[in-house]
Amino acid sequence: MLLVALVVASGAGFWSRFGVVLGKILKSKKDASFHLFPIGKRIWDFVWEVVLQAKVIRQRPLPGLAHAAVFWGFCAFVLVTLNHFAVGLGLGFLDPEGSFGRFYFYLAAAFALACATGILGLFVRRFLIRPKWLGEKLSYQSGIIAFLIFLLMATYLASFFVADANPATRVLWWVHTLALLTFLPIIPHTKHLHLVLSPATVFLSRGGFSQIPALVGDEDFGLIAGTDLTQLVSLQAYSCVECGRCTEHCPAANTGKLLNPKEIILGLRGYLNDLGPAASEPLLGMYNAEEAPFQCTTCGACEFQCPVGIEHLPILVGLRRGAVNTGAWENDYGAKLFLALEHGSNSLGLPASDRDKFIEKAGLPLFDGTQEYCLWLGCMGGYDPKGREIVADLARVMNYLGASYGVLRKEKCTGDPVRRLGNDLLFQQLAEENLKTLAENKVKRIVTICPHCVRTIQEDWKDYGTPPPVEHHSEFLARFADKLPKQRDGETIVFHDPCYLGRYRNVYDEPRSVVALAGELVEAPRNHERSFCCGAGGGLAFLGEETGERVSHVRAAELVATGAKTVGTACPFCNSMFRDALAESGDGAPQLMDIAQLTARGLPENDPS
Amino acid sequence: MKIIVAIKQVPERDAQVRIEAAGKWIEEAGLQWALNESDAYALEEALQLKEKHGGEVVVVSAGPERVGSTIRESLAKGADRAIHIDSADLGNRDALGVARLLAAAVKPENPDLVLTGLQSDDLGLGQTGVILAELLGLPHASLILHVEKTESGLTVKRELEEGWFQTVELPTPAVLTIQSGGNKLRYATLMGIKKAKTKEVRVVAASELAPDSAPVVVLERVAIPTKQKSTQMLGGSAKEAAAALVEKLKFEARVL
Repeated sequence: MLLVALVVASGAGFWSRFGVVLGKILKSKKDASFHLFPIGKRIWDFVWEVVLQAKVIRQRPLPGLAHAAVFWGFCAFVLVTLNHFAVGLGLGFLDPEGSFGRFYFYLAAAFALACATGILGLFVRRFLIRPKWLGEKLSYQSGIIAFLIFLLMATYLASFFVADANPATRVLWWVHTLALLTFLPIIPHTKHLHLVLSPATVFLSRGGFSQIPALVGDEDFGLIAGTDLTQLVSLQAYSCVECGRCTEHCPAANTGKLLNPKEIILGLRGYLNDLGPAASEPLLGMYNAEEAPFQCTTCGACEFQCPVGIEHLPILVGLRRGAVNTGAWENDYGAKLFLALEHGSNSLGLPASDRDKFIEKAGLPLFDGTQEYCLWLGCMGGYDPKGREIVADLARVMNYLGASYGVLRKEKCTGDPVRRLGNDLLFQQLAEENLKTLAENKVKRIVTICPHCVRTIQEDWKDYGTPPPVEHHSEFLARFADKLPKQRDGETIVFHDPCYLGRYRNVYDEPRSVVALAGELVEAPRNHERSFCCGAGGGLAFLGEETGERVSHVRAAELVATGAKTVGTACPFCNSMFRDALAESGDGAPQLMDIAQLTARGLPENDPS
Repeated sequence: MKIIVAIKQVPERDAQVRIEAAGKWIEEAGLQWALNESDAYALEEALQLKEKHGGEVVVVSAGPERVGSTIRESLAKGADRAIHIDSADLGNRDALGVARLLAAAVKPENPDLVLTGLQSDDLGLGQTGVILAELLGLPHASLILHVEKTESGLTVKRELEEGWFQTVELPTPAVLTIQSGGNKLRYATLMGIKKAKTKEVRVVAASELAPDSAPVVVLERVAIPTKQKSTQMLGGSAKEAAAALVEKLKFEARVL
């Protein structure tokens, strides 16, 4: 009887909070663009990220393994725990003498040992090592939870060494039971809510990286108030486990800006707790600073790292949308960029005739519908002096390879910076005009030097039409690697992964194979999917960085420290950021070259012999 | 405060302009259009005055159907309603002819203030606003960078030559022609565009407002400016080149 009463009390303690949280999530706005199917990827993500704990382990191996040990221990314990209570009621179903029961109890014991070791390790890390991204405040709740988990495992293991007749068995049984019944109601009251929610969050996530949902109806302008929070956003806000991986990798948070992706998510949770999903108070202001979302470079390190399936980018861009689509955001540089694109053609605000002059001077063939590739210049390729050099060099390589290509007579900005800044009006105009131009010119395939153009054309334009397939020049060049000359002098080249090529497109090997043709590839300490942003994305190349250290300088210093003779880039925006940052390094600075330039310099036409 | 802003639609800044066969005007087919730059500043000034003092901002524009897109854009930026003077043959009217149309549309509105851009990006006559004031019988000031409402009327800042400014006081109602650059322009927003859909645009035929009259000024011929390259390379040491540059800036370019 006592046991039943305790179980009911414990369950009630759990539900008293969990019911509230669930209510807030379910009462949030429906996600109009959510589709359960195709379900294959969801199942795979679930198995990979939840069951196998692959993301948790891969990005932080030691704590990740410790966490996995605790998680797997819990899974193994489900049956043991059910049996434990059943025994209390005289209904035990695992026979300790039977072969399956014996096998299972010993198996669970192995897991319990791993779990106890894991939780001990995590306890030491949190309370003794104290990594800075866990926050300055020590979480006493984590301490209690760690203690309870340890107690559960210890009592289970101890029961193997105590004979059944011994009164200590009864004590152990009750300690184990009470620990379990204390543990249950603590879960929803703390960040340990992720135990229950995060498997669902991972399974239900939007799936695509930085997938910005289409606005629905005439009243949707982005995330402005509680009524704009969708079920997915609310679920994600409550799933945050506060591990701080997002903060650890965030270029803004690491260079003294106000933005901290973890605080953005916790701010939304605070809003939901205090005001709920029906509130009309603004999301920005009280719970998160208005300028914080505008310090995001949209590099996506946070979203990539998050082990519980939180999608930061749709949230950060959503908050920007809310401010920009209503005109609430006032920023001189931002307004200048928007005005330049309202009636102009490029984000640099230069006359379109400048592009014509460049095309003529560089002798680029015009696209006439017969060529295989449309060489898309982009704002940087068409208007920026260094971007033009990269395009001209890529054209030389394409000529050498005998590829047929042409450039469009007129081209507008793809809308990347305005898409990331949340200006949907402008983005739609640019996407539609460009899609029309491409259709009129019968473009079947695009190659471009700019990963931002690639991403925006291929993914973001889909809301307004069907873009032709696009590839980045690294993919094009890598495909012809065996036809391109290999340079023999072994110059060291450190390659910087552009966020929009790596995390956004999952292209890491192609640019490296191109670099390897030109010299000896050197890796920066942070590379591949952990690469550190150059600071230009998310429209920030146009806004300027007013506070803290410059992201570009931090990354440039890291690249210089590798001692490589050359910094290899694959994005004209990265190139532009490092051009300024490296200028500060003085005469000893490495040279800066795009992979197209690295390839072009090896062409036989440059060979003096 | 009821403010009327007279605006003009002109070819987009990046437009590749071609001369039509007869040589009298540009080829309009295929051109992209935008709001005349100084008119954008006139609209911004009007919106800021309204935000400070309340009232209404009405835009008025003369031209063919295509002008509708520029009117919508002005409504999206915050104007309350619009009057579209429908005229397919605006090119046949001189500044006086256009000002007559505008005056006829503005008069019954009894505005407190009429603003318009200093001049248009295409013709650049700089006359329409001033003639409009004359036709309305209102005081006016031109080249205005800043407008302040006072107890008795307005205090405005005029731009003069060589960095000089003049402060002028005038009573309302008045007509002001606005110089570019006095304010920061606002960007168009999705919310603005959606709200603009429900705002009133009254279309009036030009013939209802003012009878056709023979233009006093007629465009004889338009031409693309001829290009000439007059880049000079200054040689010698940095010191010599700098001295030569100063010499040229002083006596040839006369900017120093």
